Amino acid sequence: MIDFDPSTFGLAHTYQKEDKDEINTLSMPSAPQVIYRSLNGPTQTNGGNKLNNFKHGTTTLGFVFKEGILLAVDSRASMGSFLSSEQVRKVIEINEYLLGTMAGGAADCQYWLAYLANHCRTYELKNGSKLSVAAASKFLQGILIGYKNSGLSMGCMIAGTDLSGQHLYYIDNDGMRLKGDIFSVGSGSTYAYGVLDNYYRYDLSLDEAVELGVRAIYHATHRDTASGGVVRVYHIHQNGWTKVHDGIDVVDLHYKFAQQKGLVGDGDEAKQRLF
Amino acid sequence: MFQNKTDYDRGVNTFSPEGRLFQVEYALQAIKLGASALAIKVNDGVVLAGERKLNSTLLEPRSIEKIYEIDTHIACTASGFIPDARTLVEHARVESQNHKFNYGEPINVRALTQIVCDLALDFGESDSKSKTKMSRPYGVALLIAGVSDHGPQIYQTDPTGTMIEYQAKGIGAADEGIQSILKEQYKQDLTLEQAERLAILCLKNVMEEKINNSNVELAVITTAERRYTQRTSEQIQSLIDKV
Repeated sequence: MIDFDPSTFGLAHTYQKEDKDEINTLSMPSAPQVIYRSLNGPTQTNGGNKLNNFKHGTTTLGFVFKEGILLAVDSRASMGSFLSSEQVRKVIEINEYLLGTMAGGAADCQYWLAYLANHCRTYELKNGSKLSVAAASKFLQGILIGYKNSGLSMGCMIAGTDLSGQHLYYIDNDGMRLKGDIFSVGSGSTYAYGVLDNYYRYDLSLDEAVELGVRAIYHATHRDTASGGVVRVYHIHQNGWTKVHDGIDVVDLHYKFAQQKGLVGDGDEAKQRLF
Repeated sequence: MFQNKTDYDRGVNTFSPEGRLFQVEYALQAIKLGASALAIKVNDGVVLAGERKLNSTLLEPRSIEKIYEIDTHIACTASGFIPDARTLVEHARVESQNHKFNYGEPINVRALTQIVCDLALDFGESDSKSKTKMSRPYGVALLIAGVSDHGPQIYQTDPTGTMIEYQAKGIGAADEGIQSILKEQYKQDLTLEQAERLAILCLKNVMEEKINNSNVELAVITTAERRYTQRTSEQIQSLIDKV
């Protein structure tokens, strides 16, 4: 079987400068020069074929609160104006104590989070103790930096529990790694942030936190066409993680929230009969 | 048979005129010096047990690891030259995870055992171009026990790279003693607890030291849950009391 070693597998390879090129009197090692070979030509971020540019259609969010961490995600995958799926699982169960969220390229997220799972388990068996969330997220960052500018598209959150508590990290394909209390990633993140930032408190109860996560995802799916489907919610606590909701249809949420406000939810509350 | 020390026992991969690889045969002798270990398979799961030879009252018994978890559903115990066991277990662990990574399923016990056995005869002189390999045979026998879709299984591996499936097997210095007890008392439909008691009985009868809850190690993998569980010293003590 293939040996998975990121330094030799994939697009980038390194070469060392020939010693006879330069006399290095300081005897310091010269940094290897990295050559990037792109598979399909130069990576296009904003241009390119918009019909295939389905990658960032998502809303995922996570926040830390007194009962642990709450993750909520939508489930839509779209290829331009074509809905490819309403049932995607954007929370990836890395292992019993770590979860990852998917935003950007689904393939990249699924593959590298599975690779991370492999590494975490091998480490745990070899060393007798589990990798911390900080270490696991750092390891992933290291992989993504190695593929920087190669066209990987990932905006993941790594959330988990270890001996020092529950922790939430944001990792992206630029090699950025941030630890934080609140993150939202994807095309619908701005809408989710609006709701999250308004109602977030550290001392939310579990039910309040779930409600907040669900609402934030719902509002993002309502305004962002690239987000939708169902809301999935996970809770991370000191004993691992629990799946709180496997899929609440956002259409049902629309009418439920409208009714709570005493509205009809048909888009014509003022009865202007515009259509 | 081993008094004829001829010139053919020096080269690691030189056959003798009678067609024997002496180094491999000598490696098999290393297992007979090892502390006892055994594995028992019943319908409800597999039981692994090992003797911890505690050379001093000052050492921490739990630092002597006799049973190794390879993956959630497979474990092994070893007898012989223990550092070699560490290398093999390490390889098994990595290959087990790679299988899960590539195929999305837990590796089955036979495949994992085959992967370990593939290393056994990969020794000799390595040239600079190819991957460096072991210069000598591994001096350890493993009992690999686990539960997969084929049910509970136990395999023994040895320095020759042979794998043999057993219902119950003991290895180490007292292997003949353990095997005779197992031949009398083993039945495939024993409950898991009966199998654990049988394992403790075997160790109790062949160990030189008096058996207690810190000089033996015991672990099980049940057919139902396929999850490696090491028994605590309290659980071992209650089994010792019942035997």
